[in-house]
Amino acid sequence: MPGAPAGRVNRVLPASLAAAGLALLLVPGFFAPEFLSEPDMANAFAGPGAVPPFGADQRGRPLLEYATQGAWVIALPSLVAALVVMALSTVGGLIACAGGRHVQTVVQIISEILGALPRLVVILVVALVLPRDGRGLLPIALTWAFLSAPGAIDEASAVAARLGGSRFVEALRAHGFSRPRIYLVHLVAFNLRPVVVRQGVETFMQVTFLEIALSYLAVVSNQSSFTHADSVQSWANLLDLGYKVVLGVHSGHALALGLGLVALVAVTAVAVTHAVRAR
Amino acid sequence: MQIALAGALATVVSTGATLAFYEESLPTSMNPLYAQSMVDNRVHELVLDRLYYHSPITNELTSNVTNQWELAEGGKAVRLTLKKGIRWHDGKGFGAKDVCFTVQAMLDEGTTSPIAQKQRAVFAGCEVEKDLVALVRFTKIFHNPRERLGFQVLPEHIFEGNTAIPPDHPFNTRPVGSGPMKGSMGRRGVAFEQVDNAHHEADIDKMILQEAQDPLVQVRTLQNNGVQGIIAVPPPYRPEVAASDELALKSYDLRSWWFVAVNPNKAYLADKRVRQALNQLINRNELRQLSIGVKPDEQNPPCEFISGPFVQSSPYYNRAVEVSPNSDKDAAFALLAQAGLKQVGGRWQYKGQPISLRIGIKAPLEIEAPDLLSQIGNQLSAGGFDRQEFKISVDEWNTKVLTGQSDDFDLLVGKWSFGLVEDVNPLFHSRSGDKGNLNIFNYNEKAVDSLLSQFNTARTDTQAQDAYHALHELLASELPYLFLWKLDTKSAWRTEVRSNTITPYYYWTVFDAWKFEP
Amino acid sequence: MSARWLRPAVRLGAALVLPFVVPGLITGLIWALPGDPASIICPPELCSGTEALAERWNLDKGPWHFFSSWVSGALTGDFGNSWRLQQGIPVAELLEESIPTTAALVSLGLLLLILGATGAATRWLPAKLDPVLQAVGLVPAVVMAMSAAAALTIGYGVEQYSDQANLLRLGLGALALGLADAALSGTVTGVRGLMESERRQRYVQMAILRGEGTLSNALPNTLPALAGQMRARTLHLLSGAAVVEVVLQINGLGDLLWGGTLAQDFGVVLAASFGFAVLSAALLLLQALVEIGTELHVRRSPGGVVA
Repeated sequence: MPGAPAGRVNRVLPASLAAAGLALLLVPGFFAPEFLSEPDMANAFAGPGAVPPFGADQRGRPLLEYATQGAWVIALPSLVAALVVMALSTVGGLIACAGGRHVQTVVQIISEILGALPRLVVILVVALVLPRDGRGLLPIALTWAFLSAPGAIDEASAVAARLGGSRFVEALRAHGFSRPRIYLVHLVAFNLRPVVVRQGVETFMQVTFLEIALSYLAVVSNQSSFTHADSVQSWANLLDLGYKVVLGVHSGHALALGLGLVALVAVTAVAVTHAVRAR
Repeated sequence: MQIALAGALATVVSTGATLAFYEESLPTSMNPLYAQSMVDNRVHELVLDRLYYHSPITNELTSNVTNQWELAEGGKAVRLTLKKGIRWHDGKGFGAKDVCFTVQAMLDEGTTSPIAQKQRAVFAGCEVEKDLVALVRFTKIFHNPRERLGFQVLPEHIFEGNTAIPPDHPFNTRPVGSGPMKGSMGRRGVAFEQVDNAHHEADIDKMILQEAQDPLVQVRTLQNNGVQGIIAVPPPYRPEVAASDELALKSYDLRSWWFVAVNPNKAYLADKRVRQALNQLINRNELRQLSIGVKPDEQNPPCEFISGPFVQSSPYYNRAVEVSPNSDKDAAFALLAQAGLKQVGGRWQYKGQPISLRIGIKAPLEIEAPDLLSQIGNQLSAGGFDRQEFKISVDEWNTKVLTGQSDDFDLLVGKWSFGLVEDVNPLFHSRSGDKGNLNIFNYNEKAVDSLLSQFNTARTDTQAQDAYHALHELLASELPYLFLWKLDTKSAWRTEVRSNTITPYYYWTVFDAWKFEP
Repeated sequence: MSARWLRPAVRLGAALVLPFVVPGLITGLIWALPGDPASIICPPELCSGTEALAERWNLDKGPWHFFSSWVSGALTGDFGNSWRLQQGIPVAELLEESIPTTAALVSLGLLLLILGATGAATRWLPAKLDPVLQAVGLVPAVVMAMSAAAALTIGYGVEQYSDQANLLRLGLGALALGLADAALSGTVTGVRGLMESERRQRYVQMAILRGEGTLSNALPNTLPALAGQMRARTLHLLSGAAVVEVVLQINGLGDLLWGGTLAQDFGVVLAASFGFAVLSAALLLLQALVEIGTELHVRRSPGGVVA
């Protein structure tokens, strides 16, 4: 076909990066301490050399504990939200090929309304409604996923529509392929895969950034945390400590760690997208 | 109507030197009937006049708005003669009708305010005898009736005589007062403008109240002369302020003390030996050092330990009851064992069930004492108790904690602030009717109730002191609270601000004398 | 109705109902919040007027009564007074200040995205710059906003709410919105991907052989997709604006929503949701008009054709 790139697509490097990134994000959380260590004021704001591997906070507590606790807060809910969005956008793409016009219209109306809701208010209300002992990022991440799903469904539907929708299915049926194979392999695996996975990793990143924003806003509003127990530190606490470097505080290492962790999430997302891109 | 503070600020900045300062938060309401925080109380002091107040210098009951007073109707009423020439900020005359309007507003059930509700137990009514003479009636004979006249007077003409004042009245953001400054609240702060009056002549033309930011940002802004004052400087930042020649730390006497309330309704905390054991597990020296930054051997520390519900400088403080600055694990373990708790694998259990203490703290307190919650948790954990930590928002504290609806907590860390009258009855009296309405965990002890009644019926200061001394001793043993400390509140002002006498509790009472020479 | 008109028709219909459906949904959500505003101001344990207050604010007969009372007031421009956030101030005044501020903030952020999209579509912006944009986009908006807020406060002090400072605040907020959270980099790579994919289509290559421009041929076909992308980006900016406004202390709709929700000031929350819904509806309308216009343009008969 004219315009098609020649040769195999190199997926090994991005796939390895993606696997490493996911492992770094998910595994350390399981080793996160329940509470921070006792303060050691002699090590206040110590650098990575004095308190390896990442240095210490204003009370001499290792920043590694912040990183692992934050990973524990973010990793699983972000992953679940990503999977939810991927599932819903896949369904959207399938409906575009299999469903009738009425179904698509109803889906579109619901999408438009959900997409117009002020997300932060919905998120905040969900966070405030949760019972104190049930507070965590997962319900918020799921809410975000459902609010983001309309956009993902829209995009997947557009991809399916560009393939030809139901005519694509008919054509392949004429070639003798079974419906399950057409939907699962030709449609989802071959064509929807890149956009669905990209939507998933974007959601993963958005939930991470959402958690950081909500944690910070809870601190400035003198509220209990919306996304985790009050005894746990999130990456927002790292960034809050780190940004004070502009005020002359020796917390640059905290800022570097915080931004590094955010970069890790982004690099992992980009690596996953490249690993599953179309030929 | 201009809302944005930027608009008000543009007018303010262009016509004279403006004194700007950081407050802990924006006021919730500029209407004293709906005050919910100390910020509200302070702002009202600038904008409105109280009928009577205690002079910060002589401690005598004084008034800016009355000339004389006399008892009437056998002591159940007070006749007040107001000063001539006092005007509201909009130019209308201040008179007896305003005093009586305020009393009637407090009595009106349509004024849906807890403060008004409390006043209904004090006032019976008010009568305008002449333009400047009002007769205020009480529900009973009070020992010192003028002490009850510490409320701010509201303008009758603004409310058009309607004594049912709702919380969403425009007055609550754009008040018309008779105080030294006229105030107007925007979304980012409050702008004040000086108003000359017969009884006020403030030297400072304009002020801006801004909401507190990150404490470090506040201190930097103060150092850069971006603002001229900070009402409450958190302890960790005081050394930096004190080190500057351009800044001065000033004491703000709030008569506040910190505590850990213990829930006696929980089975494992009902036995006072367990509460005494928790008291022994807390190392106050360590807490103070780690959260506030005060070393154990520091001379004149801003943070003084207490052993009961009063500050050490209070006449009600019982000096015979000693504080416990350090922990004593052995004593604590012995008490816990006596109370029937058992240690399994280093963790305490009650009737075979592990104990996990749910500890909460009022969220803004973590700014004054960073990490206090986690330090208390660490100490209790070292003593063998599992724990969960929670921060509680101000709204939840006011609606759930103070109304005795937080039984899901085991321990609550908080702070009480008092004016000159340290009336702790509402804190410890058992809840019934209007008594004990700030009793956090519905603590109920007859001996305590009896002592509190003795205080209420005391006719002399000595009787009152005896009652509260006995109360102090009893509470130090019963421990419905673990009493922590009194923490001095310090304000920071640039040296360009002179003669800035800070009144205990109300702060701005003698604001007329303040000077700003930039 | 033929399929090609269905999408824009749905968008038009949604644009009309959104300003009321969204506040309705929000009413249902905030009704689930623990406690209620009347009890917060006048706790029943401390104050006897809770029921009277609830009646005054239409909170006594369930969410539908509250919402219908609000709608009947909103239709006449009366959004009531703020209960807690700015006690006694008409909510309409708060909206009057907030809507233009948020619109300006989002528009400035969008301007950045439009510039990036144009650069990517015309290939003026080289693909080599994409990693740089992606690296900048890694920084969360909240971090950019925090640093900007600290610098503004320390730099301006008491004048941090002056006109000049507020303009700077808007600019920094727009930068944070546009650059952070992969907004600009996502727009650039998305548009670039779409346009490059379209450029490879046979009809475009044929047009090039005929001596016609690439964009004039590709743009009409990609315009609906581009409009959809930009609308999604704008909604993303609107959503992010709330965080930026709170951190940078910009008096916009997002800040109003945040403060109103925390304070359970229902009138403010509904009015601000209404404001957001109006902005979203305007975007929907715009997208629908673009789609209709594109359809009409694509299907018009070309001039000079001899039958």
